[in-house]
Amino acid sequence: MLEIKNLHVSIEEKKIIKGLNLSINKGEVHALMGPNGSGKSTLSYVLSGKDKYEIDDGTIEYNEKNLLDLDVDERANEGLFLAFQYPMEIPGVQTSFFLKTAINSKRKYLGQSEMDALEFAKLMKLKAEELNINTEMLKRDLNVNYSGGEKKKQEILQMSMLSPKMAILDETDSGLDIDALRIVSEGVNKLRSNENSFLVITHYQRLLNYIKPDFVHIIADGRIVKSGDYSLALELEEKGYEEISKSA
Amino acid sequence: MELTLNFDKIQSDNVSKYVKTILDKKNPYKNFKIENYKYAQLHRDIRSETLLRDIDISELLKISKNISPLSSNPVDLASNLNQWKYKNDDSFFRVSSLLKRDTSSINLDFIDYKNLFLDISQINNNIHFLKSSKNETNLIIMNNKSKDEYPKSIFFDISNNTNLNVIHFNISNYKSFLYFESNLQDNSHLNFVSFQSDNIHTRNEFYASLNLECNFDLFGLNINNYGVNDNYSFIQHLKPSSSSREIFKSIVEKGAITNFQGKIYVDSIAQKTDGYQMSRSLLLDDISKANNKPELEIYADDVKCSHGSTVSKLDEDQIYYFKSRGIDSEMAKKILKKAFIAEIIDSIKDDNLCDYSNKIIESLLT
Repeated sequence: MLEIKNLHVSIEEKKIIKGLNLSINKGEVHALMGPNGSGKSTLSYVLSGKDKYEIDDGTIEYNEKNLLDLDVDERANEGLFLAFQYPMEIPGVQTSFFLKTAINSKRKYLGQSEMDALEFAKLMKLKAEELNINTEMLKRDLNVNYSGGEKKKQEILQMSMLSPKMAILDETDSGLDIDALRIVSEGVNKLRSNENSFLVITHYQRLLNYIKPDFVHIIADGRIVKSGDYSLALELEEKGYEEISKSA
Repeated sequence: MELTLNFDKIQSDNVSKYVKTILDKKNPYKNFKIENYKYAQLHRDIRSETLLRDIDISELLKISKNISPLSSNPVDLASNLNQWKYKNDDSFFRVSSLLKRDTSSINLDFIDYKNLFLDISQINNNIHFLKSSKNETNLIIMNNKSKDEYPKSIFFDISNNTNLNVIHFNISNYKSFLYFESNLQDNSHLNFVSFQSDNIHTRNEFYASLNLECNFDLFGLNINNYGVNDNYSFIQHLKPSSSSREIFKSIVEKGAITNFQGKIYVDSIAQKTDGYQMSRSLLLDDISKANNKPELEIYADDVKCSHGSTVSKLDEDQIYYFKSRGIDSEMAKKILKKAFIAEIIDSIKDDNLCDYSNKIIESLLT
């Protein structure tokens, strides 16, 4: 599904990612954990295709395509989804309109006909209810005056409606209370299947109690320094990043 | 090429010294340093090879009554010209249009339709509208394909306890120079929306005088123009407890210049005035220009007045967010532009007219 080899990334001459390797197969859930400034968010932006990041070396293969050849919207329509740590506020654009435009852009890209209004409304209602989102909220401007938790739920709603093949969750747990964390995690778990893969980026082991990963990787200074199974997250919680990175 | 309109011809011996001074010293066609005409570039003959678009008004005519000036009264030059009631320099547009043209008067109370339509580009006269009944009236003023380089004036006299809604379509004009003057008596309301697009060289002046407990909303939208498009407003609050709300938005591209210059004046006795003025411009390239100049002049001490002005480009991070959800950048930009101007279109309370305006604007939005 996703194969990152020897990735080197810099921004404004500053090297952030320094030889990162990561391979994610269909149906797998990987957790990427690391301290502030280790390159977690940079990796998520590079995967989604945000500009300003310089790829100095390495390759990223996604679904047998060269990911780096694709523009941001093409990557999304090929089934890659990034749930943002800080979702953008878009004044003047209704959330439901945004969702509909996104869904129909993908359908157009895949050569399918547009989803009609009724079908869309049904799908949105169903998915919103699953995430305990009040549909009234979807009439408001996208992310404008949403609380931190509402914004994160909104990202997961978008994800669940677009049903991506490869979803990257960038610190989705930050700013969530326990209830919201559980709801968001359930939303993610509903999407888990043999066909879909996840990369869950987080500081804390807590999220992984709800979304059980198949693999856990620890990133430090732009490289993956240790990989293991779920027990690595528990070990990390106990010992902290510094000790684990040292022992690696 | 320099342009000097020949106003000498229309000067006759019976114009006052006052008028002669304005034509001579305050003439922005000769003197381009006059502050109130600072960015209008009236001394230049601005042209464009661009073929201006036709707009389809058939739908609009279905929901409105096409009116024409009912009576034409030659203006009494001596009395009207010398009567300048605004706390501002006299408008050269007003003076020159009154000298050059006759003025027709239209009493809106005599026409028993809710939506009225008048194409002022088909009429040579200035127009003087009167409204004194409580009937709800939406007046649509069309100005389309005008090549008229002489200023033209539109006056509104709105009586006590009266409402009027005006929608001004200023679309696809080669040259158009309009002066709007709205005099609101106690407790009256005027809602004025001006859509400006596909123009080459235009200037609109909006003068409004507000008495006791009046309310004046002025919304302007300037998109996809060429050349120079200039808006000037002067809103004076003369009596207590009146409010004015002014929002101008422009999207500027293809080397166009869009200007907004506006002043709110609050008289010393006009306590409890609520004035708001906002001008926002979206610059889409680096060859276009937006000049915004907001001004307040306040002599009362118990008022609420605010103004703001922004010039920005489309937000790259917002576009990235759209793209990250599979929406291509062309579509993202279009949606963001529509979001930027939605506030102006939504200010039209009549659903049919709001829908129609939305359609027109969407067809003009690139």
